[in-house]
Amino acid sequence: MIRIANAQLWVHDQEEALAFYTEKVGMEVRADVTLPEMGDFRWLTVGPPGQEDVSIVLMAIPGPPVMDDETAGQVRALMAKGFAGTVFLTTEDCHASYEELRGRGVEFSEAPEERPYGIDSGFRDPSGNSIRLTEVRLPAEV
Amino acid sequence: MAFVPPARHLLRAKDLADARYFEPLGVDDLARSAGLSRAHFSREFRRAFGESPHAYLLTRRLERAAALLRTTDQSVADVCLSVGLQSVGSFTTSFKRAFGLSPTAYRAEHPPAAHRALVPGCVVRAYARPQHRTFREDRAPARA
Repeated sequence: MIRIANAQLWVHDQEEALAFYTEKVGMEVRADVTLPEMGDFRWLTVGPPGQEDVSIVLMAIPGPPVMDDETAGQVRALMAKGFAGTVFLTTEDCHASYEELRGRGVEFSEAPEERPYGIDSGFRDPSGNSIRLTEVRLPAEV
Repeated sequence: MAFVPPARHLLRAKDLADARYFEPLGVDDLARSAGLSRAHFSREFRRAFGESPHAYLLTRRLERAAALLRTTDQSVADVCLSVGLQSVGSFTTSFKRAFGLSPTAYRAEHPPAAHRALVPGCVVRAYARPQHRTFREDRAPARA
């Protein structure tokens, strides 16, 4: 069986991203390993407590020879414009999670709102990546 | 900390429009949130996102207004104010230009808001059950 283990997100600054995802979103560090033999490449992953087998890789944008400067600039620009990807999180209680995260300083671009599939809200990480926070609730059959 | 790409500040302004469209927010406020002068901000915003900040804010408000017209029974004037616009006249004009229909006609094109309300079955059963009428009441005048 094929399963999802990690999915990668570019981040502008790994320290800043780490603080945001752990201190503000409430995730935990899964791996934080720096490899000198790979030019100090840092494998940094976070995930939600209680969901051990899925992580987000907070990946720094590399320089040459992995990525040429022009391409790195394009990735940075796309990320800064908010078009580099989205993480879809779910919660049992969107309003409660919204208040909790807001209390920790997360600025939401979309407050919780009723949608046909449940209650949905959204915010961004410091890099500009979009994060959805959804309480999935399919309409009860009347 | 690494150098922050300028577009990140523009995205902050775009997010502000998405989050606080219902407030009396203008391009000046968006420019301030990006830390740029108004003229420079408008030029840079257009370069990054392909439309002016004014157009982005207005179309966000119109999108939200359309959702309110579809999903609520608020009056057109209330919808206009709810999305941060002051003049019902210019709201109606902009709405028509964007959607090809006046707010009233747009609402009429969509199923009534009541059809979309996800009222739980127990509430429907409790509130939709008619009052019992006897045979004797059939001949009574509709209103006493």
